[in-house]
Amino acid sequence: MAAEVDTKKRAQGEGDQGLIVKPMYTAARQFMKSLVRPSTIVYPFERLEDPKFRGEVRVASGKPIGVGEVWDNYRGVHALNINTCISCNLCAFSCPDLCIDMVTVPGGDPKHPKKCPEIDYGKCSYCGFCSDACPEGCLTMTTRYELSVTKRSDMVYSPQKMFDQFQRKLPMNPIRLARPANEDAILLDAPLCIGCNACSRDCPTNCITMLDIPKGTPKPGEKPAKRIWKEPVINDSDCVRCGTCISVCPKECLFWGTHT
Amino acid sequence: MALTTLWDVAYFLASALLTLVGRVIPPLAAPLSNGDVIWGLSALVFGAILLAASMINTIMLIWFERKMLGRFMDRRGAMHVGYAGLLQNFADGLKLFRKNTFKPREADELGFYAGPIAYMVTSLLMFGVLPISTGWSDGSLPLSMLLALVIFSFAPLFIFISAWSSNNKYSLMGGMRSAAQMIAYEVPILLAVVAVVLVSGSFDLNTIVAEQQNYWFWGPLVLAMVVFAIGMLAEMERIPFDLPEAEAELVEGWNTEYGGMLFAFFMLADYLRALAGSFLIVLLFLGGWTLPTYVPSALTTFPLAGIFWFLVKTYAVFGVFVWIRAALPRVRTDQLLRIGWMRMIPLSLAAVVLAAALVLVKCLPVFGCIPSMGG
Repeated sequence: MAAEVDTKKRAQGEGDQGLIVKPMYTAARQFMKSLVRPSTIVYPFERLEDPKFRGEVRVASGKPIGVGEVWDNYRGVHALNINTCISCNLCAFSCPDLCIDMVTVPGGDPKHPKKCPEIDYGKCSYCGFCSDACPEGCLTMTTRYELSVTKRSDMVYSPQKMFDQFQRKLPMNPIRLARPANEDAILLDAPLCIGCNACSRDCPTNCITMLDIPKGTPKPGEKPAKRIWKEPVINDSDCVRCGTCISVCPKECLFWGTHT
Repeated sequence: MALTTLWDVAYFLASALLTLVGRVIPPLAAPLSNGDVIWGLSALVFGAILLAASMINTIMLIWFERKMLGRFMDRRGAMHVGYAGLLQNFADGLKLFRKNTFKPREADELGFYAGPIAYMVTSLLMFGVLPISTGWSDGSLPLSMLLALVIFSFAPLFIFISAWSSNNKYSLMGGMRSAAQMIAYEVPILLAVVAVVLVSGSFDLNTIVAEQQNYWFWGPLVLAMVVFAIGMLAEMERIPFDLPEAEAELVEGWNTEYGGMLFAFFMLADYLRALAGSFLIVLLFLGGWTLPTYVPSALTTFPLAGIFWFLVKTYAVFGVFVWIRAALPRVRTDQLLRIGWMRMIPLSLAAVVLAAALVLVKCLPVFGCIPSMGG
């Protein structure tokens, strides 16, 4: 009903003021506002993160953004600190897009080469799970958002390239969630263990030590054990829950569980 | 020789050029020093200066519009070629110049090619008539304003010729709309001009400007100026009266089939007409190149002051047109014609009556008198 009345009024010419004066006023106000400085940020020449926009442009949470400050929740290109990477593989495990490959980098011994993540940004969805999963905090996401390349192969960032990002000291956004207290731990099914030392050898954090375990008193009719049995003992506070030990265990005697 | 008028400058340049040629090639010195030869060449130089001035101003006008529209839309407009994008339109023109122009198979060749060129040429013709400052044109035409308006109203003919020759329904519709619109708005424009002519008593633009020395005509003749400005908006086919090129309905209106340099001709001629319309408003209502007598004389006596103030006023008038373009939506055909016939014409008649009353009372209390009427 109200709309009908409006249309009628407008048809009778009463809307002239609303159709001419008001738009002219609005346009003039906008003109005066942008005469000093239009809202457009001339992107390649000036950037949102320039200090001069620090006070002006705010993200949704109300925090100002700028150089040296972490944009809240901004997830750009990764930075990798190769020196602290422990080759735990957790980033590759956690990646939902399967865009992380662990590739060999110099620095490991020949038997156990050091492996660091290589990220294909053609597949990456910037979810930040890898950065979250990284136990050492060496894989972080920077605020860099410029990724245009001319070749598809350039979209694959090698560990060295991500280390360059790290060395550029870009503002980083370490996405870290607090670990739950009752997290799963690695448990041992002791009777199956053969004491082969594989888990201790491959543990990236060296939190597994092989301890001598007495094999217990033999049952009647059995011969007593001649050799010393070793069993892995896992230091839970050092363990990063990467699961490497589970995957290398030949007898499948390590498993995920909760301490009772 | 004092170079006070444009004709003097042209004559000086032409004679200097001919003397130089005579020095370099001695046998030519005698025939080239003939007065008729110098006169002919200086006429050419005069025309070339007018052409260059109008073209450069037109291109600057496009730049001005782009920058201003940008601000209205909270962006920056052209900014990369030249300082603040000043040369962007020259670059655009060069690009259009290099492009291939092709003609639809069924189009009429003569009309298709002659239309834009004639439109461009008639738009340029106006600048031979419109004075920018004292001494801009040598001598004065007694009917220069009438001549300017006549040339201004050539446009629908050539637009319609090129639209019909394109053999495209959108072009034809745009051409028809353009013709209807321009003819509808000729009447109020001429009536508004009648008001000015009544008060100033002359058809000569130089005299009209001279008559505004006590007060500019926009004060007492504000109704005529509003009608004239709105009519000019319609004649220039600018928003909100850009029905002939309504992009949402008619692709690009009457220049749908044109590309390359022919399109550039149309674009340039549109802005030439916009420039000429702004010139006319400044000349008729805003005192031309003069300033009110109470401003300090330092503002009016520096070299080329007349041209400077004239251009400042012109760009201000065009700025208002850009403002209107940024703010108002396009009207429908029926609205356009209703505004033209039912509002503009009564208003312009009222303006004529007011002007006649002004002629009767001769002097106004606040404004003063008009020189030719006893001021």
